[in-house]
This record gives sequence, structure tokens and C-alpha cells, in this order.
Amino acid sequence: MINVKGLHKNFGYVEVLRGIDEEIAQGERVVIIGPSGSGKSTFLRCLNLLEFPTGGEIWFEGEEIASHNKGKKLNEHRQKMGMVFQHFNLFPHLTVEQNITLAPVTLKKAEKEAARTAARRLLERIGLDAWAEKYPATLSGGQKQRVAIVRALAMEPQVMLFDEPTSALDPEMVGEVLELIRELAAEGMTMVMVTHEMGFAREVGNRVLFMDEGIIVEQGEPEPFFSNPQSPRLQNFLAKVL
Amino acid sequence: MIDSISAVLYRNFIYSDRYLLWLRGVRASLSIAFFALLLGMAIGLLIAIVRVSHDSMAKPHILLWILNRIIKLYISIIRGIPMTVQLLIWSFVILAASRNQLLIGSLAFGINSGAYVAEVFRGGIVSVDKGQAEAGRSLGLSYPKTMTKIVLPQAIKNSLPAMGNEFINLFKLTSMAGMAAITEITHVGNILRGLTFDQSPLIFVCVFYLIIVLILEFLVGRLEKHLRKSDRPVVARQKRSVWDGFSR
Ligand SMILES: Nc1ncnc2c1ncn2[C@@H]1O[C@H](COP(=O)(O)OP(=O)(O)OP(=O)(O)O)[C@@H](O)[C@H]1O
Ligand SMILES: [Mg+2]
Repeated sequence: MINVKGLHKNFGYVEVLRGIDEEIAQGERVVIIGPSGSGKSTFLRCLNLLEFPTGGEIWFEGEEIASHNKGKKLNEHRQKMGMVFQHFNLFPHLTVEQNITLAPVTLKKAEKEAARTAARRLLERIGLDAWAEKYPATLSGGQKQRVAIVRALAMEPQVMLFDEPTSALDPEMVGEVLELIRELAAEGMTMVMVTHEMGFAREVGNRVLFMDEGIIVEQGEPEPFFSNPQSPRLQNFLAKVL
Repeated sequence: MIDSISAVLYRNFIYSDRYLLWLRGVRASLSIAFFALLLGMAIGLLIAIVRVSHDSMAKPHILLWILNRIIKLYISIIRGIPMTVQLLIWSFVILAASRNQLLIGSLAFGINSGAYVAEVFRGGIVSVDKGQAEAGRSLGLSYPKTMTKIVLPQAIKNSLPAMGNEFINLFKLTSMAGMAAITEITHVGNILRGLTFDQSPLIFVCVFYLIIVLILEFLVGRLEKHLRKSDRPVVARQKRSVWDGFSR
């Protein structure tokens, strides 16, 4: 589904991604871990072209997208990839429901009424239908992140990208967000997720990638990956965080 | 030399219906400031959008580049020439044929105001969290749509109190419009000084400005408070944990 070949990304003279080759199949749940500054977010952001690669190719459903650096194609590609951010990035000037319907209605993916119905259904699913008319400032962190997730779902993406979706949350709110992601995984949603929740990575991921200094150092299925890491760098990292 | 208060009031307001003249002055000052503000906001918003778009692109479109140049020229002209001189040029050169005081005043002050308001809006736009635009783009919205639906509404809202202050500034600036024969408050005071043969009208000029400015300041304060309340964020406390070494 996604095929990344020799991906490079520089910020000025700084080489943040130094050649990433990776293939992600439909229905896969790929978890990315690694130390701060290793390029995890940058890799994720390259996948939906929030950052433009400076080298290499990204293939999505048989189409090379890294060269679509502007215009219609770019926006169409992003519609197929939902993204969830660490700090939620809900739109504070819109109600919860408007947050969800903005993109589908603006992009003429749905009529206003249909989009509202869909939004209500998504809110019901996360138990927040009573909050539809409220503004994001009135929600808790966990509620905000769940709304952010269904806002992305409203575009019916084929892939979901999560960048540390629980890192900005109070501990007691992490569970509700992970539960929603777990549900999506169970429904077969293809997802790529950067996280520091090792337990969750192990449980939900079907493949774990370890990034360090702009490359994927090691990867594998969760079981062998965590219990029997091969490279010294991963051993070192796991020793620190587990 | 010490007139009784009632005699002063009589000379300034009652005698030959002079209160009507004051009313006319207050109305002119307020309406010129109002239309100048509208014009300034329209110009300022356009400029801010062009400048932010221009600066956000590595290689701006040629049209955008030209617009940006024109804007820079406009801003240096407006900032380099004193308001008084601009007013005289509007009144006696560009619109010399017009006797429409409201039009002359609004254009002169509004076009001047645009250059300053642009800076406020630009600040408002760049102070909207980058994550907002990113969220919009990640949903597949184009740059213009992200701008108009997500960034600008927040930027404008954040700039509203500053617009209130700009209105107060403009209102005070109109006191020079008498030089262009516009019947604003100060000019009315000057006319009356010629008729009463004393300086007492100046007292009332001060009183009018002061009272109106105080009322406007009160209203701006209310607006500020209202806006603060409506988006008081319930910020999630940052989680501190063993991961902080890794997750900044
Ligand atoms: N827009 C940018 N301009 C310049 N440098 C950047 C930019 N974005 C990221 N970087 C740099 O690229 C490197 C990798 O950043 P990235 O955010 O991908 O790391 P990360 O693995 O996600 O780290 P973290 O766990 O802290 O989120 C960092 O050194 C960062 O400072
Ligand atoms: Mg990151």
C-alpha cells in the first residue's frame, strides 16, 4: 500500500532522514519507536507530505506521490491519510461537530446534512454526542484527542498516522485514547504510529520499527523485537525505557 | 475676566444654536474614524494575507511577488509621509474637486490606517499555532481554504481588541482634519473661538474627546474580556514522565 524507497529529508544542512526503505501493507499496524530527534515525526510527516522529501520516492497505491509537491494531487493524497497530532490541534473557533464536518463539507465529500449525521454518529461512537455543540476548550485532553481522531476518520482515510497521540495527556486519560486506537486496529485500519507506549506497541502493533539518527536501525514483530533485540543501539534504548 | 459658568455655556452651546455645530463635529469625527477603520481593516487584511502567503513560500508566484513589492512601496510611502501632509494631499490635490468631507476624511485616514493595521493582522496570523494550519492541510484542505476557514477567523478574532484601539487612535487623529476644512470637533472649537473671542471652546473640545475616548476604552475592555472568556483554554497539563528524556 505504501512503499518508501531511499527517503531522504534535509532541513538546511541537517540530514534528518538518511535513507529510509520501508513497505507497509494494507491492514498493517506499524509502530515506530526511537529516541528524541531521531526523525520519527519527520518520517510520518513525509508520508502525507506535510514535509516534502528531499530525496527518494514514496509510492501510495501504485502512484509516486513525493513529486506531487503542490496542487490538487497533493490535497487528494492527504485526504486519504488521516493524521493525529500530539497536541490534538482541534480548531478552537469551531464547535466539536464543526471540527468534524469542516473538511468533508469544504471538500464537497458530503452534503452538509449528511456530514452532520456522520459526525453525530462518530461522536456517539466515542460517547461525546452530548458535546457536539460545545467548543474544544471545554473538553478534557483525552476527549480532545478522541475528537481529533474521529475528525480524521470523517474523511474516510485509508491510512491513519498517529504522532505520539498520548504524549500530551494526563496519565488517567491515556487509556481512553488507546482504547479508541485499539478499536480502529481491530477493524482493520492501516495505521502508522509513533509512540512511547511500549506496552501498547507490543499489544497492537504487528510490526515495530526502531529509528535512530534518521534511519531504521532494526525492525520486527513485537515479540522478538522487544524480547530479543539484535542491535546494540536498540538494546541500549530498550534498557533505558523499559 | 471671570465669566460665570452659565455665560460660558450660553456662548458655546445655546446662542444661535451652537450645540448643533458641536453635534456636527462629533458626528463627523466619529463617522470618519469609523469608515477609516473599515477601509483600513480591509486594506490591512489583504496586505497581511499577501505578505504571509508570500513569506511562507520558498518560490512565490510572480503575481504574488509583484503584489508584495507594491505593498512594500505603499507601506514605506505611508510611513514616511506625515499624516497631516497625506491629508492635505487627499484634500487639495487628489480629491480637490470633491466637497464630500466624509469621503475625503475616510480615504485619507483609512488608507493611512491600512499600513498599520496590516502589521496587526500579520502578527495575528503568524501567532496562530502552526499546528492549526497543519491540521487543516492534513485533512486535505488547500492553502487558501485552510487560511480562510481556520487561520484567518482565529487571527481576526485575536486582533479585534487592537482594532478597537485603532478606532480610538483614528478618532483622535481626525482632530487634524480641520486643516482640510472638515468640520470635526477640533475645527468646530476653532470656529467658535473666532466667534466667542475667548478660548473657552477649547475646554469643550477637550471634554468631548475625553468623554468619547473613555467610553470607547471601556467598550474595548469589555470586548477584550469577552473574547478572553470565550476561548479560555482548559489546557491539558503537560505530562511529565520517564519519556521526557526522549519526547521533549
Ligand atoms: N522544520 C524543521 N526545521 C529544522 N529542523 C527540524 C524541523 N523539524 C524537525 N527538525 C529537526 O529534525 C530532527 C528530527 O526531528 P523529529 O521531530 O522528526 O524527531 P522525533 O524523532 O519525532 O523526535 P521526538 O521524539 O522528540 O518527537 C530534530 O533534530 C529536529 O530538531
Ligand atoms: Mg516527534
